[in-house]
Amino acid sequence: MKVLAAGVVPLLLVLHWKHGAGSPLPITPDNATCATRHPCQSNVMDQIRNQLVQLNSSANALFVLYYTAQGEPFPSNLDKLCRPDVTDFPPFHANGTEKARLVELYRIVAYLGASLGNITRDQKVLNPNARSLHCKLNSTSDTMRGLLSNVLCHLCSKYHVANVDVAYGPDTSNKDAFQKKKLGCQLLGKYKQVIKVVAQAF
Amino acid sequence: MLTLQTWIVQALLVFLTTDSIGGLLDPCGYINPESPVVQLGSNFTAVCVLKEKCMDYFHVNANYIFWKTNHVTVPKEQYTVINRTASSVTFTNIPLLNSQLTCNIRTFGQIDQNVYGIRIISGLPPEKPKNLNCIVNEGKKMMCQWAPGRETYLETNFTLKSEWATEKFDDCEAKRDTPTSCTVDYSPVYFVNIEVWVEAENALGKVTSDHINFDPIDKVKPNAPHNLSVNNSEELSSILKLTWINSNIKNFITLKYNIQYRTKDASTWSQIPPEDTASTRSSFTVQDLKPFTEYVFRIRCMKADGKGFWSDWSEEASGITYEDRPSKAPSFWYKIEPSRTHGHRSVQLIWKTLPPFEANGKILDYEVTVTRWKSRLQNYTVNGTELTVNLTNDRYIATLTARNLVGKSDASVLTIPACDFQATHPVMDLKAFPKDNVLWVEWTATNGSVNKYILEWCVLSDTLPCIPDWQQEDGTVHRTYLRAPSKGPTVRTKKVGKNEAVLEWDQLPVDVQNGFIRNYTIFYRTIIGNETAVNVDSSHTEYTLSSLTSDTLYMVRMAAYTDEGGKDGPEFTFTTPKFAQGEIEAIVVPVCLAFLLTTLLGVLFCFNKRDLIKKHIWPNVPDPSKSHIAQWSPHTPPRHNFNSKDQMYSDGNFTDVSVVEIEANDKKTFPEDMKSLDLFKREKISTEGHSSGIGGSSCMSSSRPSISSSDENESAQNTSSTVQYSTVVHSGYRHQVPSVQVFSRSESTQPLLDSEERPEDLQLVDNVEGSDGVLPRQQYFKQNCGQRETSPVISHFERSKQGSSINQEDFVRLKQQQISDHISQSSGSGQMKMFQEVSTAASFGPGTEEQVERFETVGMEAAIDEGMPKSYLPQTVRQGGYMPQ
Repeated sequence: MKVLAAGVVPLLLVLHWKHGAGSPLPITPDNATCATRHPCQSNVMDQIRNQLVQLNSSANALFVLYYTAQGEPFPSNLDKLCRPDVTDFPPFHANGTEKARLVELYRIVAYLGASLGNITRDQKVLNPNARSLHCKLNSTSDTMRGLLSNVLCHLCSKYHVANVDVAYGPDTSNKDAFQKKKLGCQLLGKYKQVIKVVAQAF
Repeated sequence: MLTLQTWIVQALLVFLTTDSIGGLLDPCGYINPESPVVQLGSNFTAVCVLKEKCMDYFHVNANYIFWKTNHVTVPKEQYTVINRTASSVTFTNIPLLNSQLTCNIRTFGQIDQNVYGIRIISGLPPEKPKNLNCIVNEGKKMMCQWAPGRETYLETNFTLKSEWATEKFDDCEAKRDTPTSCTVDYSPVYFVNIEVWVEAENALGKVTSDHINFDPIDKVKPNAPHNLSVNNSEELSSILKLTWINSNIKNFITLKYNIQYRTKDASTWSQIPPEDTASTRSSFTVQDLKPFTEYVFRIRCMKADGKGFWSDWSEEASGITYEDRPSKAPSFWYKIEPSRTHGHRSVQLIWKTLPPFEANGKILDYEVTVTRWKSRLQNYTVNGTELTVNLTNDRYIATLTARNLVGKSDASVLTIPACDFQATHPVMDLKAFPKDNVLWVEWTATNGSVNKYILEWCVLSDTLPCIPDWQQEDGTVHRTYLRAPSKGPTVRTKKVGKNEAVLEWDQLPVDVQNGFIRNYTIFYRTIIGNETAVNVDSSHTEYTLSSLTSDTLYMVRMAAYTDEGGKDGPEFTFTTPKFAQGEIEAIVVPVCLAFLLTTLLGVLFCFNKRDLIKKHIWPNVPDPSKSHIAQWSPHTPPRHNFNSKDQMYSDGNFTDVSVVEIEANDKKTFPEDMKSLDLFKREKISTEGHSSGIGGSSCMSSSRPSISSSDENESAQNTSSTVQYSTVVHSGYRHQVPSVQVFSRSESTQPLLDSEERPEDLQLVDNVEGSDGVLPRQQYFKQNCGQRETSPVISHFERSKQGSSINQEDFVRLKQQQISDHISQSSGSGQMKMFQEVSTAASFGPGTEEQVERFETVGMEAAIDEGMPKSYLPQTVRQGGYMPQ
């Protein structure tokens, strides 16, 4: 039950961000369902760029903080343990249209947001004293949450895209401690890699 | 059972009481509305409805109703009888009140009966909150505040609401004590617009403020730059470089800065032009500063586009610009004093110290040159402000430059005219007059070109002599005022500490200020040290010199500076104390306590070890007079084959008294002792017939010393002295002869034995001494201090004897018993036997010292291990009888 609850938390987190995000949703140009609480601001694309810059500026520090907090063997075996091999990571095509890039960005941020939720939850158990890591993870999650809001708002207001099908990474709640640490490290390594590309693309 | 009854009675009583009171309290009617909250200025109507039962009981109807507010009857004009049971009262333009309204009836024509009461609360509905604004302190949560509008006089709740375009956040309820602000629970997310508004609600209504929509990054108040540091440049004396560390927010926004600075003594800040600091940076070079001046800086930052809030000011940091060469030549003048020597004159060259803003550093010295026409240049380096030179009556040219660390000032040139010089164009029409609180001096210019004017003056006083002062003016000036203070401030100490001194001085009287005092400079130095100058703002009359050296004489003087110059005050000296206040107490008290503690411990130690100490300092020397001589055989010839100890003793080379202590007990012979004895026996069984005199056993006091000395002085074993045991000697260590030989008084009345006088014994002692020189003194060392020395020997010994130690112990015990028995039987021969064996062991020949040490060790261990009171052989003998040889 606990495992189930633990797995549901990140799911609910994403559901909280966007209704229906938990199930694969097609890109639906449905204006009726694309209602926001208030109109998007005109400079939302600038804000998205700034958010990407903000995330990119802190991604490496988060990665370092993470593997340092895990202790050995992680710091000395980054190539093996933190190799950014995340097979189901959503793709990103920097040369796509703005709409396509925004949709891909949405998927990436949704994926990352859920994974960061898992990592944060795991780290609070595995490294309860790594306060700065927790703080950094929470801060990154908050920024992603804001980015997701902006992307959704822009997709909705400009492209009338209300729903985007998203996928999530594996649930780590039933993994052992080492696997949790390793998957977290791989994910953050991948995040560091991807966010740089995405930030440049916008 | 009794308890149950009591409970039942109590329950019934309560029930009946409650029922009766309930009946009594059942109101005759009610007022509608029950809990009215009325808006100020509005009309309010309340209706009182009587119950039929009550009306019948009291024979009343609605006409009997009258109203009271706060116990005051409301005029009947405000009443309206609605029907038989109901009457209303109307209040117009309700004021601010919190009053009680009661409905009453008059029964039986005279009794006022209260029917019902309510409390009317009046107030105002909330006004629309205005000026809603939010601030995001970097690293903290967002806080919004607003103007709540007018006072409502009612409990009003303010709720801050916020949402993104895609989601809503939790409400933020303002606290009662801070109803105009609220800090949200969530962390701010930058670059996402958030919409915020406030709802104010009370009993009279709810109102919502205007919505504001903003990006939190535009409301951010960054953390102040930190680690601000200031560094000067040796290349440029007018710049200081600031460096600082920005807050993390610089990673994703551009910052701009305010940099302010002031001189250390100033109170107002100057600011770097903002356009110079309009982008993110972590250093800045401030230019156009005065050389050798201490500046204080502070910095703050905000988002470069001006949205948001300035950070707090950083911690202030200060730095001193580097020195520059003095910017002006000192004022230079001279006085001629008549000289006794014909053809010569004494000329005193005087000059003024440069004020700090012209000195541009610490003036190290002044260089003066004096030149006569076509003659050699004379150079002088002077630390003070005057120089007296002997000159001929010729014309001289003197130059003066002030030098600091960086360079020299321009030279002041002064012509000292020849003795017979007459000024062709003297200054005319010199006038002095007061104006604007200063004394002005005016003169008519001369026709010729003038380099500079010198004004000399002095104060005319009946009590003071004319002490001339002077000032220098440019050659183009024809009017000036006496500028420099005519008197320097007199500094004194207010408080002198070990490393600091508080100086104080009085403000200069206006009469002597000669202008506005801009600053003071305090010069202080030790006798041998360099002078240090400190600038102090003119508003101060006190300054604390810090980092002084304790117990040092300091000389301090002050100069007051106007814009035009300065004047030194008299020098003052003070000496810093060696110790700070309370420092002596802080040292003495712990020392005394430590001493006391040490003494106490010492006393305790001495008390606990009194036996040991006594043994070493005043051992119990047995009194032979109290010996019981069981047998006396004066004719028994001494049987020693070696020199008797008395020979040795006669030379004063007695063994230490400690030797005496290590002895068999009179009653209990320790097994260890016996063991050692036994060992000796076993090692030297063959040397029978060698006797150890009673003296040997008394003065040497033990078999062991005799044993241990065996290799060095065999004669020591053969003692026949009768008084040896009563002699206490400080022996030397090894080859050192003790400086003082101390003898305790012998209380023995026994005659000396024959052997003491024997020359052959003496001879033998001499021989041994001559051959070895290590006499029983060495035994003293070995026995008393030789624990470490002997320990390896012990090992050796133990190794060598390991196999038979147990048997030996048994054997020793057996022997002990035998000897003990023997002694108890007063067997003088037995006693002799024992010592014989010891002596023979000692006489084992010139055995190695190691062997000797073994014996000593064993013997000593025996004594220590037992821990028993030591007895002396004579005491032992006491039982067995004295056995002279």
